[in-house]
Amino acid sequence: MLQVVDLAISFGGVAAVKGVSLSVGAGEFVGLIGPNGAGKTTLLRLMTGVLRPDRGQVQFADQDITAMTVDERARRGFVMTHQIVRPFRQMTLLENATLAAGHALTRQPWLALWRTDARAAQARAQHELERVGIADAAHKLASQVPLGYLKRLQVAMALALDPRFVMLDEPLAGLNYHEAERFSNLLIELHQQGLGLLLVEHNLGEVLRVAQRLVVIDSGAVLADGVPQEVMAQPEVRRAYLGEAHA
Amino acid sequence: MDYYLSVATFAALHIILAVGLNLVMGFCGQVSLGHAAFYGVGAYASAMLSVAGWPFPVAMLGGMLAAGLLGVITGLAALRFREDFLAIATMAIGFIFVGTARKLAWLGGEMGISKIPSPLSKHEYAWLAMAAAVLLIIFSLHVRRSWMGRAFSGVAQDEVQAQTIGIDIAGYKIAAFFLATASAGFAGGLYAHMTQLIVPDAFGFVVSISILAMVVIGGVGSTLGVATGAVVLTLLPEVFRIINDYKLLVYGGMLLGVMMFSPQGLAGLLSQCVQAMRRRKEAA
Amino acid sequence: MYYLDLLMIGLVWGCTYAMMALGLTLVYGLLRILHVAQATVFTLGAYAGLLVANATGSLALAFVAAIVSSCVVGVLIYRWVYEPVLDKPPFVPLVASIGLLIAMEDGFRLIFGPYGLSFTSNPWFATMVGFGGIQINLVQAVLVITAVVSIGVLGWVASSTRLGVGLRATVTDPAMAESFGVNRVQVRTATFLVASALAGVSGLLVGMLNNLVEPGMGGLIAYKGLAIIVLGGLGSVSGTLLASVLFGLIESFGTVMLDQVMDRDAVAFLFMLLMLLIRPQGLLGKGR
Repeated sequence: MLQVVDLAISFGGVAAVKGVSLSVGAGEFVGLIGPNGAGKTTLLRLMTGVLRPDRGQVQFADQDITAMTVDERARRGFVMTHQIVRPFRQMTLLENATLAAGHALTRQPWLALWRTDARAAQARAQHELERVGIADAAHKLASQVPLGYLKRLQVAMALALDPRFVMLDEPLAGLNYHEAERFSNLLIELHQQGLGLLLVEHNLGEVLRVAQRLVVIDSGAVLADGVPQEVMAQPEVRRAYLGEAHA
Repeated sequence: MDYYLSVATFAALHIILAVGLNLVMGFCGQVSLGHAAFYGVGAYASAMLSVAGWPFPVAMLGGMLAAGLLGVITGLAALRFREDFLAIATMAIGFIFVGTARKLAWLGGEMGISKIPSPLSKHEYAWLAMAAAVLLIIFSLHVRRSWMGRAFSGVAQDEVQAQTIGIDIAGYKIAAFFLATASAGFAGGLYAHMTQLIVPDAFGFVVSISILAMVVIGGVGSTLGVATGAVVLTLLPEVFRIINDYKLLVYGGMLLGVMMFSPQGLAGLLSQCVQAMRRRKEAA
Repeated sequence: MYYLDLLMIGLVWGCTYAMMALGLTLVYGLLRILHVAQATVFTLGAYAGLLVANATGSLALAFVAAIVSSCVVGVLIYRWVYEPVLDKPPFVPLVASIGLLIAMEDGFRLIFGPYGLSFTSNPWFATMVGFGGIQINLVQAVLVITAVVSIGVLGWVASSTRLGVGLRATVTDPAMAESFGVNRVQVRTATFLVASALAGVSGLLVGMLNNLVEPGMGGLIAYKGLAIIVLGGLGSVSGTLLASVLFGLIESFGTVMLDQVMDRDAVAFLFMLLMLLIRPQGLLGKGR
């Protein structure tokens, strides 16, 4: 479903991502891990369109999306969540989700002008909030709910977009042990319901528990790609994470 | 009678300008400090068409389209620029328009364009302007409730997040600018035909700031607030004749005062009062 | 030789702009505010200096008056107008600044008259200085020298003194700077003092250059100053300097070449717009 071919980018002479290729099949749950500064977030930003690569291609559902903007990708079902949550702070959780749920209505600005009915979108938004477990705070302002709720709001909004694939950038950052566990259980559920997921994460424990497949990035290149247990046993991977002594 | 008609017409024109600017600034969050340029483009384009012999409706339409075109170009620039940059860029567009109109011979230079044919009577201009103002207010209220308005507010609050949920921020910004500038162009066309003489200085930075003042004092984002601001600021110098000599001092002072004490303008004050009353009712 | 003249004029204007723009970029870097009202301080310095010069005949006193009056008013503007609205959305301080500028310009007009005041004696204006075959008057020379010296001094202060380091730290990370003992209010006051002094001095010099001080003299220079700091890359001092010089040169040459098409201000702003379209972050600005 997602094909990344030889993606590369440099910032001021430093190669942050050096010719990365990977693929994720429809409905797969892949974890993208790597030590600090390995280039995970840069790679993610390249895949989602926040950054333009110096070379390489990103293909989604057999379409070349390399030149598309973030919103064009989202409209094609290729959705992301941010590492630093940024909800619309002056709107309630329900209003946030409603805006995402109304994506079919907001696709075309000049058509959106003539549409005022928000009931279907609100119902869908409510449904997604319930699905991720934050419906109790639906009418609270986004600026007034805890981080765990905002993280799950992001997922709710991503779901409201009818995605074919969701990329999550370190969603567990800032969550405590219980919240992180609850969140990754949610991801497992969504995966079981057929959603394809790419999870960039630092929290190794949870990733190992939930991902079907693991891709390890170090110094801007793919170090390993396979089933979690096998990948973590590889000496290069262990060296990258834990240093020479543990290789 | 003529005098009151004239004041009423100008009030209506200012409503059109302010409600239009509110669409782009209040709803969509794009700062525009050069709105008078679109007023001017509409005036000049429609004046030149009329002087060349085209009928009034064609000239008016031409004015709207010319202003709208410049608006689309500005919208495209808005895609490249962040907020502070956009403020300065729109200010620059204003100065470029005036500077060009002042020099180019075929735009009339410093003397502007005169002897513009005037097909309507004073009454008819007044009614046309007021009808247009009312229509624009209704339209603006509709936009607010529509999905375009919802998308606008997403773009205004956080562009990156709006993109993430599939909102075409480029398309929406351009749409906002087009709506605002085309309506300013209409107002410009009316102004040109009504006064039959237009000069570059009638569309300078001070005029842009006056329109901004109407929006800000009325309450950024509130259609009715902005319309009220337009009416108040049009009537103020007429009601208090002595103010005319101190007009800029009063304007500037009002802008400063409103920003310091009630940044949400009159509309904000009103909603705060309403909320306070509601709270008192609940406590009782 | 004609082109050398244009070059000289362009450089002189560039230096004038640089002094305004430096202040604007310092304030923006510190507070993210477009300090349009800087024009007020510019004009005030000119009026104060002119009045003192005409009354006492002493240019030195005139400069002191210019600096003192602009510093006082500049800091007051920070305390009374900007400080209370720092937490509001960005259009609030900008619109407040614009309102203040418009009100004060009108205030100057009402107090001093709309037609401007002249110097009773303007010796520098009459004195010519020549080098390399070009003649410029002493005011222009002083403008250039003042600009260069100010930039040099500021550069030294920024890198080698406690205050300068504190300023740079506050710009980068205010909370962190404060936890290291940098006094936020001191840094801000110092910034406004410097910016206002620069504006006041350049105001007086421009007044001497034109032999006229009028109420609206600051407005356009402030707007161009904003265009310059945007062009240079908001918050970048070296970008501001580069942009100031370019602006002066483009105005000088462009006005002559495009005389039939647009006036001087339009040329300058068009240049800024075109450069920004090519490079939206400004000449030396950061970020993608």
